[in-house]
Amino acid sequence: MSERLIRGRIDRSGGLVSADTPLLRLQQRAGSGLNKPLALPHLARLVALAQRLQRDISRPLYAADDHSDVHAVVRVIPDAEGASIEISDWRTRPIAVPQAPAATDNVAPQGWSWECDQQLRMVALRRGAEAPFVPENWEARSLSELFELQPDAEGRFPVLQALARQSRFTGQRVRAEGPGDRISMTLSADALFDATGRFTGFRGIAALDEAEEDEPAASMPTDPVFGSLPLSDPQFGRRIDGALRGPLSRIIATAETISGQFDGPIRADYARYAGDIAHAGRHLLGLVDDLADLQNIERPGFKAAADEIDLGDLARRAVGLLGMKAEEKGIRIDAPRVDDKMPATGEFRRVLQVLLNLLGNAIRYSPDNSQIWIRVDRDGDRAMVTVADQGQGISSEQQAVVFEKFERLGRTDSGGSGLGLYIARRLARAMDGELTVESAPGQGARFTLSLPARDV
Amino acid sequence: MADSLSPPGIDVPSPILSARLHELAGFLGAPTAGRLTEEQRALSLGIARRLVGDIAEELGSETDAAALWRDWLASGIPGADRLAGACFARAEEHRWREQSAQRLGATAPLADDEAVVVTPEVAAGASDAADRAYLALQIADRRRFDAYGHPALPLADIDRELLRALLLDIAAWRLVREDKDGTLASNLGEAVRAAVSRQDAATGIDRAATDYHAALAAPSAVAEAAAAAIVRQDWPALIALAAAAAQRSYADTALALLSAEAAALPILLAPLRLDRAAIAPLEASLAMLPARAVGGGA
Repeated sequence: MSERLIRGRIDRSGGLVSADTPLLRLQQRAGSGLNKPLALPHLARLVALAQRLQRDISRPLYAADDHSDVHAVVRVIPDAEGASIEISDWRTRPIAVPQAPAATDNVAPQGWSWECDQQLRMVALRRGAEAPFVPENWEARSLSELFELQPDAEGRFPVLQALARQSRFTGQRVRAEGPGDRISMTLSADALFDATGRFTGFRGIAALDEAEEDEPAASMPTDPVFGSLPLSDPQFGRRIDGALRGPLSRIIATAETISGQFDGPIRADYARYAGDIAHAGRHLLGLVDDLADLQNIERPGFKAAADEIDLGDLARRAVGLLGMKAEEKGIRIDAPRVDDKMPATGEFRRVLQVLLNLLGNAIRYSPDNSQIWIRVDRDGDRAMVTVADQGQGISSEQQAVVFEKFERLGRTDSGGSGLGLYIARRLARAMDGELTVESAPGQGARFTLSLPARDV
Repeated sequence: MADSLSPPGIDVPSPILSARLHELAGFLGAPTAGRLTEEQRALSLGIARRLVGDIAEELGSETDAAALWRDWLASGIPGADRLAGACFARAEEHRWREQSAQRLGATAPLADDEAVVVTPEVAAGASDAADRAYLALQIADRRRFDAYGHPALPLADIDRELLRALLLDIAAWRLVREDKDGTLASNLGEAVRAAVSRQDAATGIDRAATDYHAALAAPSAVAEAAAAAIVRQDWPALIALAAAAAQRSYADTALALLSAEAAALPILLAPLRLDRAAIAPLEASLAMLPARAVGGGA
């Protein structure tokens, strides 16, 4: 079933006018039917969003009928008459039994099982059959105090999102007290409810992450910018990462908990201040990420993988990830069409990182209600992707320094670290490519990433 | 009795034959009494195994708990009569809670709208002390499961004499098996004393129940909390309050509730001053539990 595409059609008034059997059955179980309003709230919201933006939207879909949860990926394609729905990767699983004591059968022998209440206070922490220890004095401690929550790739905390939605979560990376040093683990859990439907907490497992590979120690030359600061020393990089990331993650997690008012209502201005703290924390965390990246790419022998990539596909992925941020400013992004392919050679995640940096900058520094173009092109043996915006542009003097470390062209806002473009160019060059800029004041900027083209 | 029923000509009956004849004699003695189901046997045996393993660990990590259990399974578990009560009470409570949770599963709410942010309720009127005591009760309760969610009896929750007896039996088993030069005996003796004093210091479910009851202070608050526990099907909280109010142990109270006729429930819960109507969901939940040790074996 997961290979099949399930289709449906919504009319302008939000009614489901046609649907393949699984979708129709779900609609009927939700008490509706054909030619009646879509009764699946999550899907209905996505349809409304796609119609409002007049843009294709692809999102995970979570729905439920009376005996199973449904997880799928839905694509909503709006048009003048309504919208078409395409659902792929349709999976069902039985509903998790709340308060079932044996929900932790999949505890790894080296892992732990745990439970917390609705305020994330620990009420259980037990070790698997072969786990040597659990931290002492865990009782009643806050989950975010016992486990240093680590943000995911988008800077979010799955456990806090799950707390807000009162739903299950997976993939929450954490660091915890180990027998000697701190250890990396991943948390997942089901939400628990009592007989009145009140959320009562989470019950889940903590799985030990695979040991991280030790990077080879190498004697490093003194950094020209940092002088005697041992920035290029891998040990220093790891220490700075460990020393800053944990406390920052905790600040962000706590601030988000306060901002989201998970422990009960508070004054609106206090919630807003907490939101500001979380925002500032995320900025600092971004700086730590940049510094860690910098330390990594500046080490001798740094190499990027040579994956077979499609710049058109990567550009669309970048747009998918930052589309909502652009939408907040009313910025329209003109991305390559689905059939615009540009085969190239480069490391998939690094190219995506570069494109996210370029597109993120374009969104950040473009005026409201403007437009950003992303084009792919080929010139001889070079495959290129260009991000162009309608921002204030960059003078030729500024172009000379824009790729320097910590260069923010005189800006003092909390937007970035000044390392992004430096890292992006270093990455481009590590992939036998280049990152260039063309711009003039008042005429926007065009950043072009070129990589070795690939013939298919 | 097994001996008296042994067929002539067999001098030493096999342990299996002896056990079966014993069981048959018991059956003939009360043919209409409900017998243990396979589930009840399995749950009780599992609880006993985990308890014996935990106690063995108290005598040092070098105790081979697996070998101990194999030997005891073959020869019979020492102090079985006393162990039976504790294991059966825990197993029956577990069966009840599991059934209750499974029935809830069919009506569990599911969050399928990512934009809906729900603020968790804060129990209205709950004092900080009551909140902390309830949290401690939850912690004490969750200690009664192993890492895989199977029911267990933490050492803090078992009778002191039962603990001491099992410690001594395990120590004796190790002495027979391992003591080559006489030095093990004194070490084990010391370990037994240390384990017993650790239990004295530990706080189990009974202490947590008493503290929770005391933290609620006013009788009306106790009644309210007990009624809310019934509505939420928070059975550990209800058992804890009932036990503390009647000054009984948690295990005894659980077994009393689970083996009570419906008509006896108001009497058992009288110290909680609950309305008859408030008890109805409890009656319904217990009535749905099969093979309870009640009356004619409902």
